[in-house]
Order: sequence, then C-alpha cells, then structure tokens
Amino acid sequence: MNLYHNVRAQWLAYLVFYLFLAAVPLVVDDNFLLNQLSTYGVYGMLALSISLCWGFGGILNLGQGIAFGLGAYGMAMTMQMQSQDASNPMPPFMLNNSLDHLPLLWKPFANTGVGMVLALVVPTLFCLVFGGLMFRARVSGPFFAIMTLAMLSAWGTLILDMQPYTNGVNGITPPAPLHLGEFTLDPYSPTAYWTVLGLLVVATVVAKLMTLSRFGLVVQAIRNDAERVRFLGYSVAGYETAIYTISGFFAAVAGCLWVTLTQYVSPAQFDTTFSLSMVIWAGIGGRMSLMGAIFGAFLIQGAQSYLGDAFLNTWLLILGAFFILVVRFLPKGLIGLVESALGRLGRKRGHDNGGSVPAQQMLPQPGE
Amino acid sequence: MGFFEIRDLCKSFDTVTVINQFSIELVEQTLCCLVGPNGAGKTTTMDLITGRQKPTSGQIMFCDEDITGLDEHEIARRGIGRKFQVPAVFRDLTVKQNLEVACSRSTNPVKNFFRFREPVFAAKLEEVLALTGLGPRLNTEAGILSHGETQWLEIGMVLMQDPRLLLFDEPVAGMTEQEIEKTAEIFNRLKKTHSLVVVEHDMAFVKQIADVVTVMHMGSLLAQGSIGEIEANERVREVYLGDAED
Repeated sequence: MNLYHNVRAQWLAYLVFYLFLAAVPLVVDDNFLLNQLSTYGVYGMLALSISLCWGFGGILNLGQGIAFGLGAYGMAMTMQMQSQDASNPMPPFMLNNSLDHLPLLWKPFANTGVGMVLALVVPTLFCLVFGGLMFRARVSGPFFAIMTLAMLSAWGTLILDMQPYTNGVNGITPPAPLHLGEFTLDPYSPTAYWTVLGLLVVATVVAKLMTLSRFGLVVQAIRNDAERVRFLGYSVAGYETAIYTISGFFAAVAGCLWVTLTQYVSPAQFDTTFSLSMVIWAGIGGRMSLMGAIFGAFLIQGAQSYLGDAFLNTWLLILGAFFILVVRFLPKGLIGLVESALGRLGRKRGHDNGGSVPAQQMLPQPGE
Repeated sequence: MGFFEIRDLCKSFDTVTVINQFSIELVEQTLCCLVGPNGAGKTTTMDLITGRQKPTSGQIMFCDEDITGLDEHEIARRGIGRKFQVPAVFRDLTVKQNLEVACSRSTNPVKNFFRFREPVFAAKLEEVLALTGLGPRLNTEAGILSHGETQWLEIGMVLMQDPRLLLFDEPVAGMTEQEIEKTAEIFNRLKKTHSLVVVEHDMAFVKQIADVVTVMHMGSLLAQGSIGEIEANERVREVYLGDAED
C-alpha cells in the first residue's frame, strides 16, 4: 500500500505541517513579515476552497474572487462602521460623493455582529443561488467556468460603478483594526497570525472530514462521471451546488480574514487575474490534495513576493510557463511527486519482506 | 395495474420517429429479453424508462406509479437500476469505493456529510463479491481493470443499488465464453428475486436466460413470447433472426 493514501498518515502529515506553522511566530519577530505570512494563510484557505470545488468536485471555478470579494467588502464595511459614531455617522468617502445620509445598504453593518454574519452569509447565499441555477440547468465543465468568469466581471464592474456606496476604484480602507468588545485584533501581531492559522486548521479538518464522508465520495464520483451518478439515485445538481457553496463559504471566510489583515479592499479583489491565480496555486500544488493546494498557495505567493519584484512583468510569464509545465507533466501537481516517491518506497519494502505472499495481502487494508 | 407497464410510448426527434406506439407489460420476477435489429430503438427505450430522455407521448408505470418524465435520480430511487452499454464506472475510485457509491440507500447530500459508512454496505458487499468475484481487486483503481472486470464491476454496482427492476444494456458484450456462462448463471439466480430487462444480440445467451422475448422493429413491438414462439415467428425471421444467425 502507498503510504500517501493512508488516511492516518495524512492526518499525521497535517499535524506536523500545522505544528510547524504554529511555531513560526516564536522565531519571527519582524511584525511586517508576520503580517505577510498571515496573508499567505488566507491564500492557503482560498487554495483549499478551490481544491474542494475543482480537485474533488471537478467543478472549475474561475470566479472564486466573487465569494472572497463579497466577504472582504462585508468585513471592510463592518470595520469602517466601527470608526463611525453618532456625531459622525457616515464614512468620509460618502461625503466626498455628496451623500447626505447613510445608505440603507450600510445600516446593518453598524452592528459588528450582524455585519460579520452578513459578510459570510451574503457570499454563501450568492453561491447557493447562482450554483443552484447553473447546476440544475446542467451547466458544467468549461461552460460553468465561463459563467463564473462572466459573473466575476459583472460583480467587479458593479462595485466599481457604485462609487457613492463602495468608493469605486479606491476601495474601502477602514482606519482602525477590528475590535471585538474590549479586544483589538492587531494585524501585525502573532495573535492575528494564530487566528488565521487556527481558522485554516479548522477549515482543513472540516474539508478533510467532508472528503472522507459519503458526501465526499459521491462528489468524487460526480467528477468521474456525473451521468452515471444520476442513475444511482443521487441528485447531481444538489451535490454540485453543495460543494460549490461550501467552497464559496471558505472563500468568504478568507475574504473576511484578509481585510482584517490588510485593512483594505478594492475592486482589484474581483480581478480575473486574482481568481485565476487561486486556480494556479491549487493546480501547481496539487488540486486533488488539500495540503498540496495550500502548499501551492504558500509557494507561489512567497515566490511572487520575493521574485516578483526582481522580475517585474516577466514574473507572470514565468508563472504561466511553470503552470503549463506542471499541468503537462505533473497532472497531480507537485504533491504528485510525493505520491509517486512514497509509492516507490512502499513497493521496495514490499519486495524486501514479501517472500512468496504478495505484500498487499499481508497488510491490513484501510477502512476495514 | 401491474408491476411495470409501458403504454403507447412515442419518441421523435424533429421529424424522425424512433419509438412508435410501443407498449409492453412486465410481470414481477421474470426476465425479459429485448431484441431487435440495430436501430430498432432498444437503447432509446432504456433511456426513456430511466429518464435520460423524455418521451414525446405515452406513459410508463412502475409499481402503480406514473414515472413518465421524472428525472433520472428520482426514477433510480424508485427502484430501477441500469447497466450501460459502454461500461460506466468511476475510474479514479477503487473498486470498493465504486460499490460504496452504488450502495445508495441515503441520497440526501446534507445527511451524507455526517455519514461515513452505509450500515448495509458490509453485508451487501459480501453478497456482491460472491457473485462477481471481484474480491482480490477491491482496492484497485477501477480505471485499470480489464474490460471483463469492468463489466463485472458495473453489474456489481447495479446489484449494490438493489433495485426492483434491473435494466441491462448488452451485458455480455466483449466477454469470454466462461464469463458469459457465469453471467447467465447470475441472471438465472437474480430473476428469482428481481425483475430484469436485458437488451442482447447474442441469441445463444438469450436462450439461456429469457422467460419472455420481446422483439422490437422500427420502434414498435413486433412480437412477444417465449423463445420458441419467437423463433417460429415468420415476421421475426424476416427482419431479425435471419440476419443475426448468418
């Protein structure tokens, strides 16, 4: 048996991976670096959401920026309203856009709790409705990918156009970090880093359990042959909508976290390049593996921060070429190298102590 | 009202009529072989029964319920299972996972989040493995099975589903003599507890298994009866058997 497919070994790998990441603030005292690493955690969560949707469900989503951006705007509005009070009820940019009272759209965000819930619920509901409509009409494969891309551009344009409500291209820059009661979440602190990491761990555990459940099994069957799944009595549209919505929810959480770290959001979050890069992270790291996708996000974003400055515009070319090479030669991504290495190791061991009995029959099979 | 009945089924694509006033009735626990020359509309009939295509007119009744025009998954849940002409299995999943997916007692996506195994799966698995002999291949990816094994896997999947009515579209295509023998044996055992409709070209195989033979021609019913009656039927000889036995 290949150790890579052993579920217990996979949990152990997650444990080691996250313990290592949790220890990072103990050795890094540069707060700006720590903040940067925290944003990588957010990107990791985005890659995780893509891996669920694309890797496990086979639904290529080029518009994950919608859920991320809507979550980010919701959180930014909540944080902005925290800086307003009775004497000064309107964010400054609205005055510049000659609004004379706080628009209805903004009112719920005056309450931090309601605002944060809305920041998660609105994008999730959007995915539920949009996904439901698409999948029920059996839009799939490249057609769905194009629809998500179109929807992404529509949202970007809408937000750009609603200048008095969203501050257009300048975006929203909440002046103070998020505070919850007495507690203030300093984006440059180890606490912020651990908050992001903690949520990433929770997301990973939930996602992993989901892939192991019967739901996850059916979703993977749909990736293989949706038509066949229908004849077994499963509502394919229901499953596709569910996995797409859950993936969108994770992206919305990532959007909220991202704003607390950067105190900034703009229509750039709805750019196609950003949504495409999420797909590239997951593709390079390994879309069929949750950890592979997260690792891909770390790797590419890390490289972009350091090499991107050195190469400027050439960086996109390098990234594109790298993506093509990975897709062509490593369809399972970089994590596929680990799979085949462990597979070779397992076979070797099997031959060493196998004798006349094939090694596979001597080992207990997982899941029995 | 009976177990399964098709009444005046019609299906046309634009001006081409594929199924024309086709009616049959099935008795529970029998095996009906659906035969007919190429283009007679056998596979289309299967598609119409299972909801893959919607009939232009006509009615399909199953267990006193009108199932005409329902979606595929709704028809499957009512107890009609289907094996495809080209074996359709989930290639990335192992044989065991394929069978697990097919064991579709609970189909609600939300409930399935919290389900990690199907209670009846272990018992069903033993039963299906005993019939299909896929035991040694349980942890093999379905994509690398041989053609025969893939056929067995799909038959296993339909059995896992435990439908009341099983539809098989050319189940023995590409099988060896021994495998055909084994399939016949399984079918003869199955018809004691289930009802089967088998589309097949291999007349030797049909003789081994059929209780009733239904002959289709140009989308309509040509003849129906025991294998002996069908072989003696002049019109059937004309359109079908004559050609097939050459």
